[in-house]
Order: sequence, then C-alpha cells, then structure tokens
Amino acid sequence: MAVTTATPTSPPPPPSMAQDLLNSLPKTLKLKTKQQELLLRVTTLGLIYILAFITRLFSVLRYESMIHEFDPYFNYRTTVYLTEHGFSEFWNWFDSDSWYPLGRIIGGTLYPGLMLTAAALYKILHFLRFAVHIREVCVLTAPFFASNTAIVAYFFGKEVWDSGAGIVAAALIAICPGYISRSVAGSYDNEGVAIFALLLTFYLFVKAVNTGSLSWSLASAFGYFYMVSAWGGYVFIINLVPLYVLVLLVTGRYSLRLYVAYNCMYVLGMLLAMQIRFVGFQHVQSGEHMASMGVFFLLQVFFFLDWVKHLLGDVKLFQAFLRITVTGAISVGAIALGVGTASGYISPWTGRFYSLLDPTYAKDHIPIIASVSEHQPTAWSSFMFDFHILLFLFPAGLYFCFKRLSDATIFIVMYGLTSMYFAGVMVRLILVATPAVCLISAIAVSATVKNLTRVVRAKSQTLQSGSGKGTSASKGSSKGVIDNSQPFQKNGAIVLLLGAFYLLSRYAIHCTWVTAEAYSSPSIVLAARGAHGQRVMFDDYREAYFWLRQNTPPDAKVMSWWDYGYQITAMGNRTVIVDNNTWNNTHIATVGRAMSSYEDEAYDIMRSLDVDYVLVVFGGVTGYSSDDINKFLWMVRIGGGVFPVIKEPDYLVNGEYRVDKGAAPKMLNCLMYKLCYYRFGELTTEYGKPTGYDRARGVEIGNKDIKLEYLEEALTTQNWIVRIYKVKPPKNRS
Amino acid sequence: MAKLIFLILTLIPILCTSFSPDKPSDRRILVLVDDFAVKSSHSLYFKSLQSRGFDLDFKLADDPKIALQRYGQYLYDGLVLFSPTIERFGGSIDAAAILDFVDSGHDLIVAADNNASDLIREIATECGVDFDEDYTAMVVDHAGYAVSSTEGDHTLIASDDFIKSDVILGSKKIEAPVLFQGIGHSLNPSNRLVLKVLSASPTAFSANPKSKLTSPPSLLGSSISLVSVIQARNNARILISGSLSMFSNRFFNSGVQKAGSPTKHDKSGNEQFLTELSKWVLHERGHLKAVNVKHHKVGETDEPSIYRINDDLEYSVEIYEWSGTTWEPYVADDVQVQFYMMSPYVLKNLANDKKGHYFTSFKVPDVYGVFQFKVEYNRLGYTSLSLAKQIPVRPFRHNEYERFIPAAYPYYGAAFSMMAGFFVFSAVHLYNK
Amino acid sequence: MAKTSSTTKDAQDLFHAIWSAYSATPTNLKIIDLYVVFAVFTALLQVVYMALVGTFPFNSFLSGVLSCVGTAVLAVCLRIQVNKENKEFKDLAPERAFADFVLCNLVLHLVIMNFLG
Repeated sequence: MAVTTATPTSPPPPPSMAQDLLNSLPKTLKLKTKQQELLLRVTTLGLIYILAFITRLFSVLRYESMIHEFDPYFNYRTTVYLTEHGFSEFWNWFDSDSWYPLGRIIGGTLYPGLMLTAAALYKILHFLRFAVHIREVCVLTAPFFASNTAIVAYFFGKEVWDSGAGIVAAALIAICPGYISRSVAGSYDNEGVAIFALLLTFYLFVKAVNTGSLSWSLASAFGYFYMVSAWGGYVFIINLVPLYVLVLLVTGRYSLRLYVAYNCMYVLGMLLAMQIRFVGFQHVQSGEHMASMGVFFLLQVFFFLDWVKHLLGDVKLFQAFLRITVTGAISVGAIALGVGTASGYISPWTGRFYSLLDPTYAKDHIPIIASVSEHQPTAWSSFMFDFHILLFLFPAGLYFCFKRLSDATIFIVMYGLTSMYFAGVMVRLILVATPAVCLISAIAVSATVKNLTRVVRAKSQTLQSGSGKGTSASKGSSKGVIDNSQPFQKNGAIVLLLGAFYLLSRYAIHCTWVTAEAYSSPSIVLAARGAHGQRVMFDDYREAYFWLRQNTPPDAKVMSWWDYGYQITAMGNRTVIVDNNTWNNTHIATVGRAMSSYEDEAYDIMRSLDVDYVLVVFGGVTGYSSDDINKFLWMVRIGGGVFPVIKEPDYLVNGEYRVDKGAAPKMLNCLMYKLCYYRFGELTTEYGKPTGYDRARGVEIGNKDIKLEYLEEALTTQNWIVRIYKVKPPKNRS
Repeated sequence: MAKLIFLILTLIPILCTSFSPDKPSDRRILVLVDDFAVKSSHSLYFKSLQSRGFDLDFKLADDPKIALQRYGQYLYDGLVLFSPTIERFGGSIDAAAILDFVDSGHDLIVAADNNASDLIREIATECGVDFDEDYTAMVVDHAGYAVSSTEGDHTLIASDDFIKSDVILGSKKIEAPVLFQGIGHSLNPSNRLVLKVLSASPTAFSANPKSKLTSPPSLLGSSISLVSVIQARNNARILISGSLSMFSNRFFNSGVQKAGSPTKHDKSGNEQFLTELSKWVLHERGHLKAVNVKHHKVGETDEPSIYRINDDLEYSVEIYEWSGTTWEPYVADDVQVQFYMMSPYVLKNLANDKKGHYFTSFKVPDVYGVFQFKVEYNRLGYTSLSLAKQIPVRPFRHNEYERFIPAAYPYYGAAFSMMAGFFVFSAVHLYNK
Repeated sequence: MAKTSSTTKDAQDLFHAIWSAYSATPTNLKIIDLYVVFAVFTALLQVVYMALVGTFPFNSFLSGVLSCVGTAVLAVCLRIQVNKENKEFKDLAPERAFADFVLCNLVLHLVIMNFLG
C-alpha cells in the first residue's frame, strides 16, 4: 500500500534529465505513470484479494476442511438440502427433525441468501466440471466473500476519499481480525456474506447519492435485497440510511440527487425485501422499520414544498402554503401512526432491538438473549484485540472526514459512529463496525502518508526544479506546512513515515497471529497444549454425533441444551427438542426445567416430550470450560423464567455457584449434575488430586455417589466431553 | 379352474391363521415343584392345562440342570412356580432370571404358602405384591371361614370376593366360594398394574394362628389380597397366590359351606376360578392385537409421509382378540384415536364394522408440527393397546394458498393499470420528445 | 367570518398563483405530472378500499399500493432528471435517464407480479 501511494514520485531523475523529459515528452511520461499506477493498483488489489483469501485458510491447515461452530452446521445442512432437493422444496421445507414436536418451517424462518449463494457457487463449479463436494464450497464461501469485501472496500474508499484510501482500506479489511473472526474458512455463517452485502449496499447507495442516478440506486436496492436475504443485520441499513438522509436534511445538504437515490432505493428495496418470507411484511408492520418509512414521507413533503416554493418564487405566499400543508401532513402522519400502533398493525420493537438501545435491557428481561455469549457487552480488550491500531486511527480518520465534509464522508462518519456504539453494546456487532473502522482508518493512513510523502517530495522538488510543480494539486493544509518549512521537517516526515510503516507492519503481524491462534479454531474439534507442549486434539463432539448416527434408531429424539441442537441434527441426523434457532422460549424453558429438576420430575418431562436420549457436554476431565455445568445457571434462569418452580437461589450457596461439597443440595441432585458427574467420582483426573477432581472448575465434586434410576449411560466419549444417556422405558412391572 | 382358485383364495386366510406364528397362548410351560408329589396331588389343575394343549415340563426346583434359556432363546413360554419353600433354584435360574423371563414377555404363575421362602417373596415383591413379613402369619377369618368337620383354627377360608371382570374370570358366574389356606399379601400402592383378583373378607386378618395376638396385625380386612394378577406393560401376565393348596385336587373336589351361610356347595369354586384365571394368565382370553394401522387422505389409499394442515384424512385399524385358537374380531364402541402433539388436538371414537375393522375420519387441525396417531386402549383384563404412529404435519406450501381472491381484484387491477400506464406513458413520453 | 373569508381568499389566490406558475412548465413534464397524479390517485383509491373491506390479502394490497407508489416515485425521479432547470443533472442525458427509468420500472413490475398472488 505504501508503494502505491508513493509511486507517482518514482525515482527522482537528475535535474537536467527531468527538465528534458518534462519539456519534450510530457504526454508520454504522464501516460506512462498513469499506466504504471494502474498496473500497480491492479496488482496490489489482486494481491490483497489473494491475501484476504489465504489468511483465512489457517483453520483448514491446522485442522481440516470442516464446518465450524454451531450455526454453520444448520446452514450447511440446509445447503445440502437445497442442492439435493432444489429451490422449491427448500423454500417450502418443513423440518420435522428439529424442535420436536413443533417442527420448524425452515423456508420461512431463515435468511436464504447464504445457502443460495453457496448452492449457486456449487452449481457454477460443477458446470465448469470441477467435481467439488458441497462441503468444500461451504467451507470456502466465507473467505471468498471476504476477498470480495476487500474489493468493495476499495471502491467505497475510492468513492469516499480517493483511490489510495481505497487500497489501504482494502488491505486493512482483508486482514482485520474483527472481520476474520466471522469469516475464516469453515465459518459458514450468514455474516460471511452479509458483511459483503452490507458494504456493497452502502457503497452503491453512496454512489447513487453522489451521481443521483436511478440505476445506481436500483443497484443499491438489489444490494439491500441480497443483504436482507442473508442476515437479520439488514435492520441496521434500513435505519442508518434514513438517519443519514435525515441528517442531510437537517444540515441543509438536501439535494435532488439524495431524493432520487433514497426514494428509488427505499421503494424497490422494500418491495424486494418483502419477497423473503422470513422478513415478509415487517417493513410496513414492525416498529424497527418505521423510521425509513417516516423519512420516505418526509422526503416527499420536503420535495413537494421545495417544488412549490420554486414554482411560486414568492416567500409570503409560500409561507401561507406551508402552513396549510405542514399542519395537514403532520396530522395525517400522526393519525396513521397512532391508528397503526393501536390496531396492532405496527408491532412494537422486539427485545433484541431494545437490548441494542439499552444494554441492560436483555439482562433484566430476556435471559435467552442475555445467555448467548455473542450478545454480551464488549470489553475493551476485545476492541483492542479485534482492531489493534485501527482503534487509534479511527478518530484520526474522523478528523480527516470532518475536514473534508461531503455527502459521502458524512455517510461514512455516521456509519462509523453508530456501528461503534453498537459494537460496544454487543460483542458480535464488532463485525458490523469493522468495515467502517477500516475505511475511516484507511482515510487517516492514506491522508497522513500522502501528506508526509508530499512533504518529503516537495523538499526535493523545490531543491531540484525550484518550483512546487509536483505539489500543484496540494490543498491548503499541505501548503501551509510547506510554507512554514522548518529545518527538520523532512527528517521529521521521514521518521513519521517510518513510524507509520512500523505501526502498519505491527498491525499485519498482530492480525496474522490472531488469525492463526484465536480465530481458526473450529470449536467442534478442540485443541489444547499437552504436558510437553505438543498439540492435543479432542475430537469428542464428532465421536458422539457419529455414534448417535450409527447406534440410535432413526426416529430417536435427543434432548440437549440448545447450543448443540444444530450439530446433532446436522451430524447426528437425529431429531432434537430444541436447537440454536431460539424462537420458542417456552420449549427451551421446558428443557431447562428438565435439566434442573430432580431425576424423577425430569423423567416425566422427558416422557412427555418423547425423549429417547439426553446429551450433555462435560469438561471436567479435560478442563474444557464452556461445558453444560458452566452454562447451567442459564438453564435455571431460562427455565425459571417460564416455570416459577425453578428458582435460581436453590442452586446457589450464598449467591455463589459451586459444585463441590459446599454446593446447594438441589444442585447436587439435579439432573444436569447427575448426568455430568455420573461415575466421575471414581476417576482420577490429575495426579496428586483426589478422585472426582473437576479440572474445569478446579474443585473436587460434592456428590461422588450418583445413581441413575430412569436413565442409563449410553456413551461417554474418549475425553468425557460428550456424555449421552438413554432414557429408560417405564418399568415393565410397575 | 375358477372354482379351484376360489377355493384356494378362501383357504388362504385359514391357512395363514393356522400357520401364524403370532399365537399368544403359551405352549411350553415349565413347572417347578418342591416335590414330585405335587404332580399327583395337584393333577386336576395340571390336567386342565394339558387338556387345553399346554405342554408341561415338570422339574424339581433345585434340579441343577434346569434352565430357562439356552443360547439366548427361551425354552419355555410360561413358568409355574409351585415350589414355595425353595431357597435357591438349581441350574442358572435365580430371581433376576425369572424377572427377565417375565420382562421378555412370558407368563408366570407363582404359588406361595405359609412357609414361603425369601426367594419367592422377593419375586413377588418385584411384581408389586408384598407378602406378610411375619413368616408365621396366615390369613385367619373367624367370620368367613369354611365350615368343615373339624373345628380348626379358621385358616381355611371360603372367599367369594372376586374381581368383577368377565375377561379375567370368564363370563360364567362362579357360584361357590373359593377355598383358600395360606398367606395373605398386600399390593404395593405405587404399582398401578397389579390387581386383586380374590380378596379376603373385611373380617379377615393376617397373623400367626397358633399364638395369641399381641399387637394389631399388619394386614387387615379386605385390603388383604389372596390372589393377585399383574399384567406387565409388555403384556406378560403374572398370577400370584398365597396358597399352593388351593390348586390341589383335595380343594378342587371338596364341598364348601361358608360360615354363616345356609347354602352348602358340593364342590368348591376353586376349579372354576383357577381354571378360568389360568386361561386369562396364559393369554387364552383378553388378548388383543391391533394390526393394519392405516391412515391416508380422503380419496386416496397410499399412506403419505407428511400431511398438510386442514387435510381430511381417514384412519383405520383392525383389532382382534385371541380366543385360544383363533383371532376373533374384537367389538367395542369405546376405542378412541387421538391426533396428538403434546396434547390431543383431535379425539375421536372409532366406529367399527363388527369385523374388527375400526375407522374414522377427521380434519387435520390448523397447526403444524410432528403429530402422532395414538390409540391408548386400556381396559380391565385386556392387554393394553398402545399404538403410536408419528406423522409430521406441514403448513401450506407457498403455491398452495388461494391464488385469486375476489377481495383482491381491485389491487390486481391497480397493479395492471400501473403496468399499462407505464407503457402508455413511455410511448407518449418518447413521442413527445 | 371575515377572517375565514380572507383565508379562503388567500387560499384561492394561492392556488391561482400556483396554477399560473405551473402553466409555464414544459409539456413533457406535464405529462409526467399527469402520470404521477394518476398513480397517486390509484394508490389512494386502494387505501380507501382497504379501509372498507379489511386487509385480508395483505400482500395483494401492499403490491397494489406499492406498485402505484413506486411508479409515482420513479416518475418523479425521471421528472427531476429530465427537467432542464435542475443544474445538478446537467451531465445526465435525458436518454440515459429514461433508460434508467425503464429499467427500474421493469424491476418494479416484475417484483409486483411475484408478490401479487
């Protein structure tokens, strides 16, 4: 990136030569540098494109080509279904394997963009006679789209600032950990394509605002459509864009270009979005989308008034007109909104949305949202971890944006600020903020480096040719710097440049390190360091899921905490009671209640749900800390939220959660405890520690003598991470 | 030729039934006795079994060669334990083996006596029957004893408090009281499967007849059961009696007169009672089977893999009862089917054609999910029928909704007029330029 | 009373003024205006109809109304772009504007057709 911005200066020729060249061949030289620049730019972009792809392949190298985590397994399963059964079946798919016995209308409750994209890639590859497996396509979809995002970032940067900033932005976003965290190979999730769609939509919209062209606006509507089809985060677009329009209106930057861009994008985007079944009528019914509609009407009124004003050309008359129309418009709008809300057509905001505005809302009201680790407020360290130096470049970039205010920079500033706020509220929204942070930081880097090189170059030029020819395009700021030239300026500039390059190289090193160490773990295969520093792999999850697939009847129902639902259906091919699509709180609460009840009470619940197997995840042997015992309080909370018989204090001792001898009696005898620690009391996990020593929590367990009456152990995996129990049928003779 | 085919066709069902492996009546029965003397002293009872086609295999209970199964296959279909005093079976048999025998669907007849061993008591306890813990206790009834020539200690009881079930005891009323001499038991209240077939009268109690009563007896009155049966969930049937002698020829043939009753019967009710009961225990009566569970949409015959909400469907099932030799149609008007998902959404009585064919039709509710057709038929004495067939119900597909709704015609009109308007406008606009 | 009459008179004056100012608009813009008015009128008709019979085929209603609104909005956009008084769109050829307009309309009507049933 540094090379590109510095290129036009090329090697400084001797003075006479330069003069000659400038005089004799100005045209060829100019053309040549332009061509050179183009070549360099394309090469750099190409390299960035490849870099963005290959930096995400650590996970494949370290582990294998596999789908990661939880949600991607659902996406993978649906994609396989889509490729096998075709679009129509997929669109109408009623899945009876999940949420037993309720079932789930898959086609109507997912964002199909990701699956359609992967299936289309798969079809294209097969058309080109590449006989790849659909899994490979799914694994590599996210890196592929990350590369595309980098290209979009380049164009966006170019549109907002200049091509230098664009290239820096592309380079930054290609390796930014905040984005990599959701787009490594195997992380086959909606966000992988959604960030691309988000940035594309924004880029096209800014382009539409800048040109006032209907076709760009139409393109951004399609970008929006793709975004809606891919991820629920589209709500961010449909709120940010109206907000942006509103800000422009208020600051007096209203223009007809804006009118064209927004209206066309809104109407067509809304219509297109309604074709996604999961979104449906939300655009006209849900409170989250009302802002855009309000702005749409406001814009019409504004335009109409502007037009009448233009027609009349008389202030007094216009004011009279204004009085009539404005009162009319406001009253009509208020009545419509009131009637809509009162009659229930416009639904109030959903909990997830509230929790965005008020970070403490979910904690108090909706445990199911609060229980997801991705929904926790962000810690400073994770900002640092995900953004590194961008965190410091971001304010600098904002400064540059404010200094050169335009419609486009206002947009990027608003995008940056709002998304940063949301990133602070919820960990996973760092992802949304990443492109903005990268773009704004890129502006800072690009502008700084440009200014500095200009200083360096201007000095040599003034020395050589006596005129600031090379800096003829310089803006006021750099001119001021040159005018007040100081003796150490050049050296200072060089030092600063070197410093900037040092920082950027640190960033690159940090990003690579983070990608390799932190974000490439598939979390379905666990890795740990053994006693001698070697890597130890725990492949217990897959062992358990394949066991389910091979050894249980095809219609067996498996109960587990919802985290593992998608994996069980995708890899174990068995029906689950609840899964990661947490749409029915009561059903989840029933499972939570079963897990936190005594065995006999739990047995009745399990019988009523026709449960055949119970699966728990236990890290006491390996020291794996995100196991069911550590998630257990959430089960209690969620269960207690619906069934008041479950009370959180029953499981705590003086507000403390413990599993050792001092634990609450209810805790020591609830189903989850029994299932996790069954036979654990006989086991010595660590040398020099008593039997039944839980390595995940570092205590000796409190109930070593666990007898199961209604369940029997069916499988405990190699490292005890997954334990499966069979629910016994009722006793034959009683 | 046609006649021959017709003959074969008519014969096929008969042939099929005759070769049907699905005959619930047990054929091979192992009888374990303490002493081969029982074989002759209880010969009437055994004869009645043999005359009904059962193949009895008498063994001493401590015979080291006895075994219930060989190579994982059970050698017998039923087991009669007429060995109340046995402490340890010979061979590989123990209490757990006997319970496994029952749990794999085989029948069991246990007779205890006033010197019943711990082993027999343990088996009984596992089946939900608790004999009096006092080893010396017997059932004594000073009011309902059987009148006999020697004025005894009133442990020979004449009881006529039968369970009211034609299925278990046959349709012919048992006129004479049943003679009983042995120990009483109570039913485990947590066990919902065990039934009192013959209970003691309210004046009976369980105590040692030879000693004076020092403390109130633990078992008292009509809560004492003399003979009980259990039908396990897998439809294995168990008979437990507190008296071995009630099966004996002596009791079968003796006359009976209940104390306080003027009528004297020439023959006790034992033979009728125990024979009828053995018919029930050995599945010659009250054994139902449900076959050919079918469901399909109205107007179709194939069973779909999934229904749609608001489909009309037909459900049918055939229910037969085993008569001891053949499957006869079972006729009842209280068989119900549920369309069930966590709770029954549809509950319908099944109509039947008196030939064992039960059927109904209903509309799938407007709810999607994984439903079950459930028939839970539990009637006293009959084997419980528990049929569950899972079937998912899906919502409408996107193209199954009504396409052209009259109320929406203005909207269609508007949309098309806009389209037409667009063409007209384009033409005018271009022309005008 | 006097006040009311004066307001009425004001309003009348106002509309006269607007009308006279409007008469000066070029014909091609007037055609677009007519088209817009037609679309808005159809949309209003449908809203009234919806208020009378209820929202049952909600998708049909939405597609009907949105088709009108979309048409109107696109036409207004076209009007802005071909209006020679708007300096912002000097570089945009009217032919290009019309081509964009046709493209958007095609998309609009295709989507409406999909959504109608």
